[in-house]
Amino acid sequence: MNGSDIIFYLLAAMTLVCGLLSVTTRQIFRAAIYLLFALIGVAGIYFWMEYEFIAAVQIVVYVGGIVVLIIFSIFLTQQAGEKMPRQRLDRKIFAALAVFCGFALTMVQVYKQVYYTSDAPAQTATVANIGKKMLNVNEEGYALPFEVISMLLLAAMVGCIVIAMRQKPDEQTAQPTEKTN
Amino acid sequence: MFVIKYIKEVWTAVRSLLKGMKRTLYYFTHHKEIITQQYPDNRDTLVLPERFKGEVVMPHDENNEHRCTGCQACELACPNGTIKVIFKNDLTPEGKKKKAIDKLVYHLELCTMCNLCIEACPSDAIKMAQTFEHSVFDRNQLTKILNKPGSKIMEGVE
Amino acid sequence: MWSFSGIANNIHTWLGEHFNATWTMIIEMVIAGVAVIGLFALLGLVLVIMERKVSAWMQIRLGPNRVGPKGIFQSLADTLKLLVKEGMTPDGADKLLFNVAPFIAMIVAMLLLAPIAFASNFQLWDLNIGVLYVSAVSSIMVISILMAGWASNNKYSLMGAMRSGAQIVSYELSAGLSVLAVVVMCGSLQMSEIIESQRNGWWIFKGHIPMLIAFITFIIAVTAETNRAPFDLAEAESELTAGFHTEYSGMKFALFFLAEYVNVFIVCAIGATLFLGGWMPLHIGNWEGFNHAMDYIPSSLWFFGKTFFLIFVIMWFRWTFPRLRIDQLLNLEWKYLLPISMINLLVVTAMAILGWHF
Repeated sequence: MNGSDIIFYLLAAMTLVCGLLSVTTRQIFRAAIYLLFALIGVAGIYFWMEYEFIAAVQIVVYVGGIVVLIIFSIFLTQQAGEKMPRQRLDRKIFAALAVFCGFALTMVQVYKQVYYTSDAPAQTATVANIGKKMLNVNEEGYALPFEVISMLLLAAMVGCIVIAMRQKPDEQTAQPTEKTN
Repeated sequence: MFVIKYIKEVWTAVRSLLKGMKRTLYYFTHHKEIITQQYPDNRDTLVLPERFKGEVVMPHDENNEHRCTGCQACELACPNGTIKVIFKNDLTPEGKKKKAIDKLVYHLELCTMCNLCIEACPSDAIKMAQTFEHSVFDRNQLTKILNKPGSKIMEGVE
Repeated sequence: MWSFSGIANNIHTWLGEHFNATWTMIIEMVIAGVAVIGLFALLGLVLVIMERKVSAWMQIRLGPNRVGPKGIFQSLADTLKLLVKEGMTPDGADKLLFNVAPFIAMIVAMLLLAPIAFASNFQLWDLNIGVLYVSAVSSIMVISILMAGWASNNKYSLMGAMRSGAQIVSYELSAGLSVLAVVVMCGSLQMSEIIESQRNGWWIFKGHIPMLIAFITFIIAVTAETNRAPFDLAEAESELTAGFHTEYSGMKFALFFLAEYVNVFIVCAIGATLFLGGWMPLHIGNWEGFNHAMDYIPSSLWFFGKTFFLIFVIMWFRWTFPRLRIDQLLNLEWKYLLPISMINLLVVTAMAILGWHF
């Protein structure tokens, strides 16, 4: 076992332990923080694999975006520091069962998958290469999925604006000039 | 229209911010503008502003004479009872009785340096001094008698 | 002539002669860690005294002048005071998160130092996503503030944390867009390549007006991101006591304080690297003689000079402008900075394609 392995096992242990804690803790804010550390652990594994771009995107999107969003919604809705009620036993059992089934399914798929070794030269994951792949319209490019995903984001954005702009019926007549300034 | 108004807004904002920054940069580079007084160090050369008011005093001339007639205008003018005038009867050279001040008691601990007594005084008997190191260990020392012992009123002040 | 890269190379060769590869790496890591911590301590001391002196002079005051000659040891005395003070944890606080939060602030600041080039060939980690790494890792910063605000179990802390969260998340956009302007121009995210692309002139000169706009939006956005006045709503003394660090005392408070100053240093270093050429001396096009003369000034001096100039500018903002209200703050970002930097990015892209830069 060399240094690289040790780092991998440390990161994996951090991810797993934090993931487990985030579902078992009874304080919702702590759950969010444990989730954050689990996601950072995943980003660390990406760094360990030298996929820096994906690691950075993982941090930007999940840590800087989603976890902050979760924390904000906790701040705005929950009572400070109160413990959540203990879950019923049957719920716990079914949740554990569901998790186990999902895990088993994934592992079965992983073990059934036959991995081929390729003779093609390895491509380095530099930003330039990723960008070229992402916007390439040829057979090897990912322009179409990229655009489809951006359509999804656009739809989400339009939805946000619609929700934010929805006014009560009586307000519409009261403040018609609001949009112009 | 909208775009022109927008650009104009940004431009005026940037200009006014730069104006403020120019001022602070001027102060940053011109250290002789510094107004801090390093008080205990510069005690000997300290120059107080002309209108600084420290405490009420009663000036006496070389014959130990003051200008206070005991009219009580200051006592009435004082908003918080800082000044008390205590009288005695003096004999004039002709043998007549004359009212004069025995003590003009001044409570520095009550005084707010509002200057109303000085403005009320018809004969300019009291004025504001520029002393300010008033701290003492016993507050009785803050009750002062403004006229010196044995002083009397100046000739010709009615 | 000595240089940082020379020292680093000497250490590396000396270690290589005496130890095997693994031990060399471990020892080098330890040296780098100690150097980073030393830099942190030094930066904390220097920046605090600098801030106090700059603020004093801008407000026509004298500033600290008792401890040491001209008061230069004032921050040392302050640090000593903070070290010996008791670090208290409030009774109602979430003790774990309360105690972890300042360390996260510190760790994030340390991680951010990795891709910064302090001198030519002197960089901890020249990874190929340098700029993206910085903006990614700096977004963890907000978590430590939110943690501190929540765990303190204090309404002022919570308010401060929420304000600061909203502020950091929204100003990250325009900071990112103005960083992208430089990335578009030189076509790389790697710090060393960005610096190398400025060999014939810094981007702020080569990219003229659009780059200047990008630079200004960058400076404004990073001032907001580091929670400094006029954007210090997170700790607005007059409204929120001290914001998210109201309940902190002693060394835990000092860590937040230090992290704030180190973050200022880091964003200024990034700004200097992107717009002012990092350690690259002032070069003008093909004036060989002039460029050669400039090369005699050591590269580390150029880097620290530019960085401290930007730090001075940010301090200058702080001691000139009054604090914004929360609605003004969000207006500034969403109605002015973001549209301006988006249009600016389009202009920069057109410039890069058409070659309208020097």
